[in-house]
Amino acid sequence: MAIQRNPVSGQVAIVGLGHTAQGELPGRSAEENAVDAALLALADSGIEPAELDGLVACKSIQGQGNDVSVGRLLGLNLPYAQSLDYGTCNFSLHLAVMAVAAGMASTVLLTYGANARSGKFDFGQPAYGADMASAAGLVHIAGRAGLALQRHKYLYGTTDRQFGMLAVGQRQWAQRNPNAIFRKPLTMDDYLAEPYLVEPLRRPDVTMISDGGVALVVTTPERARDLPNKPVYVSGIAEHAGVRGEHNPENLMRPWLRDSAKAIWASTGLGPCDIDVLYIQDPTAVWSLQMLEYYGFCGIGEGGPFLAEGHTRPGGDLPLNTHGGQLSESYTWGWMHLVEAVRQLRGQADERQLDSPEVALYCSSHGFVKAAASILSTDPGVGT
Amino acid sequence: MTDNEQGTPAPVGGPVAEPFWRAAREGRLAIQRCDCCQALRWPPLAGCPECRSRDTTWTDVEPSGTIWSFVVYHRAFQAELRAEIPYTVAMVELNDGPYIVGRLIPGNKPPSVGDRVVAEFVEIDRVPSVRWRVA
Repeated sequence: MAIQRNPVSGQVAIVGLGHTAQGELPGRSAEENAVDAALLALADSGIEPAELDGLVACKSIQGQGNDVSVGRLLGLNLPYAQSLDYGTCNFSLHLAVMAVAAGMASTVLLTYGANARSGKFDFGQPAYGADMASAAGLVHIAGRAGLALQRHKYLYGTTDRQFGMLAVGQRQWAQRNPNAIFRKPLTMDDYLAEPYLVEPLRRPDVTMISDGGVALVVTTPERARDLPNKPVYVSGIAEHAGVRGEHNPENLMRPWLRDSAKAIWASTGLGPCDIDVLYIQDPTAVWSLQMLEYYGFCGIGEGGPFLAEGHTRPGGDLPLNTHGGQLSESYTWGWMHLVEAVRQLRGQADERQLDSPEVALYCSSHGFVKAAASILSTDPGVGT
Repeated sequence: MTDNEQGTPAPVGGPVAEPFWRAAREGRLAIQRCDCCQALRWPPLAGCPECRSRDTTWTDVEPSGTIWSFVVYHRAFQAELRAEIPYTVAMVELNDGPYIVGRLIPGNKPPSVGDRVVAEFVEIDRVPSVRWRVA
C-alpha cells in the first residue's frame, strides 16, 4: 500500500460551532462559559450530547476548564477525553482529528472557556514564575513581542505605518462584526497618535482581555452528510514544537514557525496562492507579521511593504482575520478565528461574508515554543 | 526571594542560577559551559541542550556585547515596576555568543540595535543585579 502523504485530508468535518457573548461575563467560571458554548455548538450541529464519544477541553490561562470539570457539567462519560494546557483551537482540533483517525472517537466536542477579564488575571506575572528575564523587567507578552518587532524593524526597515496596517485593518473587519468588542473606527492617524505601550508596540497592537466560551463539534464525513450544516472539512494539519525555547538562537523570531509552514504545504500539496482566507492567532500583531512571512504569503522581511499594499484589509486579495481577531473582536486565544473560518466557508458571515471562499488556513502558536496550522475546506478532496 | 548560603537575599532563577548571582555580587559575568562539548548556554539549565551532558562548569565570560533588540516600557505591568517607567530592556548578544536579557541604563541618547554595551554590577536593596550601559 502506498504511503499516504496526508492521511487526515477529508477524514474529519467541522459540523457545529457555538460561542457565548464575548466581553465581561462576571460571576461565571471558565467551565460555565465553556459549557454554555458547548451546548450552543451541539444545537448548531444537530448532534445530541449522548452521541458524543470524544471531548477535547482546552484549559484557560488560569488552568480552569479541563476535561474533568467540563465533562462533569455536561454529565458525560466518554470513550475519549483529554485536556490541553494551550489550545488556540488548532492544537485542540489536531488532537480531535488524531482521535478520530485512530478510531478512538468519531464525534468530538472541543471546548474552551475564559474568564480572565472578570477574574482579573494578572498578565504581568511571568507565566512560569519569576525568571532571569522578568528580573530585568521583561514582563507581559508585549515585551518579547516588542523585541521581535524592533529587530524586524532594524533588519528590514519595517515602519510603524506599515505594521499599523494590521491593527487598522482588523478594526475595519471588526466594524462588520456585531460580536466584536472594539468597533470604534481606527484610522492610521488614530493608530499613530496612540502612545507606545511597550515601544515599538502600541495598545492596538496587543490583544484585549475578555471573557467568553467557544466550542466546536467535529465528526466523520459520513455522519456529517446527515447533519443540517454544510460540512467544513479538515484538509491538513501540521505542528512544530520549538521546545528548545530560549536555547534556540534568536528564538524571539520564532524560526520554527517556518517548519510548521513547510509541513502544512508539503502534506497538503497546497501553497499560499491556494488560500482564499487567512486566520492568524494574534495575541500581538507581531504574530501576524511573522506568520505572513514564514507561511510564504510574502518574503522574509517583506511583511511591512506587503501590509502597506492593503492585501489583508477588507477588499484585499488575502483577507486576514475577517472577524477582527484578538486585536478587535475578542480574546479567546484564537478560538474565534476558527469559528470565523467555518462561518466564512459555510457562507454565514453576514455583512463581512467573502465571495464563496473554499479554502482557509489557520495558523497559531503557543507563545515562544510551538507552532500549529490547519487548512479547512468546503471540498473533502482538497489536500489529498 | 530565598536565602542562599551567605544568608543574603538571592534573586530569581532557582538553585540552578545561584552561581550567576554569586558571580554578579563579585562583579563577574558567569554563565554555564558544558564540560563535554564546551557549548556556552543561557539562561541557566540543568543540562546541555547541544549534547545532553549534565556536566557543567560556570565560566566567566566577557561582560560585553551588542544590542540585538530593545523595548521601552511605558506601562508598568507589575506594581514594583511603577517607579521605573519608562525603562528599557535589551536583548544583548554577548561577545561570547549567548543572548541575555538585561535592563539598559539610560544614556545620553536613545539606544539603537547594534550598539555596543558593557555590563555593570550593582546591588539594589542588597540584591545583586546586572545592568547594561551603551559603551
